[in-house]
Amino acid sequence: MAKKIGSEALGRFYKEGSKVRTRREWRGVKDTAYDFSRWLVIMGTLGKFIIKPRNMKAMLRYRWMANYLAVPMMVDRHTQGLRGEYLRMCHAEQDLIIDDVAKLLDKLFKGDRRIGNDEEFSKKVVLVDENEMTAVMMGFPMLETLSRETPSTYVPVLLNQHSMEYYMDIAEEFGLAPDVCPMPEAEAGVSINDDAPVLGACAIQCNTTCDGSLLGNGVISKRLELEDGIPVFQLAAPLRHREDDVQEYAAQEIRNAIAFIEKHTGAKWDWDAYFECAKRVNLATRCRQEWLDMNKTDYPQVFGSNLALYTETNYMAICGRVPAFAKVDRKLTKLAEKAYKKKKMMAKEYRHRAIIWGVQSHYYFDFLLWLLNCWGIVPLTDMLSMVSTKEIAEVDTPENREQAYYDMAWLTENMIMRNRTHGGYKVLLDELWDFVEEFNADMVILWEHMSCKALDGMHGMFEDRAREKGINLVWVEHDLFDPRIISRQGVRDQINNYMRTVMREEPIDPSLEVLPDDQSW
Amino acid sequence: MCKKCKCCSKLPWWSKLLIATTGIFGLLFTVYFFNLDMKLTAMMEPWLLKWYDHVDRDKHL
Ligand code: SF4
Repeated sequence: MAKKIGSEALGRFYKEGSKVRTRREWRGVKDTAYDFSRWLVIMGTLGKFIIKPRNMKAMLRYRWMANYLAVPMMVDRHTQGLRGEYLRMCHAEQDLIIDDVAKLLDKLFKGDRRIGNDEEFSKKVVLVDENEMTAVMMGFPMLETLSRETPSTYVPVLLNQHSMEYYMDIAEEFGLAPDVCPMPEAEAGVSINDDAPVLGACAIQCNTTCDGSLLGNGVISKRLELEDGIPVFQLAAPLRHREDDVQEYAAQEIRNAIAFIEKHTGAKWDWDAYFECAKRVNLATRCRQEWLDMNKTDYPQVFGSNLALYTETNYMAICGRVPAFAKVDRKLTKLAEKAYKKKKMMAKEYRHRAIIWGVQSHYYFDFLLWLLNCWGIVPLTDMLSMVSTKEIAEVDTPENREQAYYDMAWLTENMIMRNRTHGGYKVLLDELWDFVEEFNADMVILWEHMSCKALDGMHGMFEDRAREKGINLVWVEHDLFDPRIISRQGVRDQINNYMRTVMREEPIDPSLEVLPDDQSW
Repeated sequence: MCKKCKCCSKLPWWSKLLIATTGIFGLLFTVYFFNLDMKLTAMMEPWLLKWYDHVDRDKHL
């Protein structure tokens, strides 16, 4: 019976005051067996990681490591209600991301002066920001590109909604204004609390995503350079990234960053490796474009968290450097094509076609799936997934070697979030309405991240345009990393109120309308 | 293994393997289905958080 999509009320797995759910979903024999087999694989990845004494030592040293206890639950959140191809797509990407983060953690602790203290390894490490395109590392396969902020700040919020509250409080305790964006605030808090692994030959910081991230970078680089003796390069990518006259400057920044890395690591830029990565970047772009094209039809296939979480990881953090992601790109496309041919649907009913715009709440990333399961709102695409679709030069010729600096600059300028929150009203406001038309959407869900000044300034203009075009515009306020300001239920209530009062609709799955998940991971 | 009837020792190797595999499968599936893995780790979290409070740190701006 539960084989059918939507046959189980998904809200019944929540328990008041509990961090976790009462049980996992029964999806029919075939899909439950598949989900079970993937759970075993995830447990294997986690077991292999924690069995190393070095990683156990790190688990007991770094507070943010406690959040990794919730890894299987994160997967459960993103697979809620999924069956068939959609369940397989979700696992293909989530399992790979888990494996990739486990490897990242393992390497960080290997070189960390407090944990593994492998000095030879540490000399090969280049630290990069959390929200930084790693394009500049595409030609350094002999070096390790590691981000400390990704596993200490970004991933924990996806695992446990409360994970960053401690670090945000620390940052504020040391004088940071409480209305700063929680993302750079939490990153700064980790550094202030001496909770960032210390390793690396050098670091590259980038002015992604905004002045908020510049603030966090300042706090972090002070400690890195002045105390840990790790030199830091500030890669200042232009914010008006669509203007032609900034591109030469942007390319020069890339040349300078490469020269800096060569100087501090002794490594030499490898053009063969670069163009190999460029091919994989283009493959990812083509696949994403195909998924988006499918989403413009009546049978969208790769959308919601399946699109958002994977695009963020693949586009920004991987940037063609890990061949395993190219394999998953192909696998996802194959699954999507198969489901498309059969005219399959992810939920039992599609009522509205929505574009999700603005910076999404990280403590409630599975909200996209909730929209679908509870109200039948199909999140066709989201702002963070609408990144560059331009293919970059991938054949090694003298002209393309010069072009490559411009391509890396373009990717860096068009990093997720900053390519929309900065660059003028065209990229943030005008293009949204182009996408609404292209995707034949009747609804826009606009995240209003209350600490993101870049977006909040245009509130009135969004409303004017929505009124002009007759599109249902739903504002959803949140505070990115801080569920104490607006809880997950607070987020849901904004949609519930709109759907009941303006749209006069009843939910598809009423058990999901109000969930007791305040204490939940 | 039952001492009185010694029936287990008479079983062929493949049926012992089958019983063991089924037992392990049943156990793991119970853990999976009733979310026992997450229930256990949820119990560990408060203990870990208390532990971190005692770790020495050079906390400053
Ligand atoms: S959400 Fe806004 S304020 Fe925060 S890092 Fe992104 S662009 Fe900056």
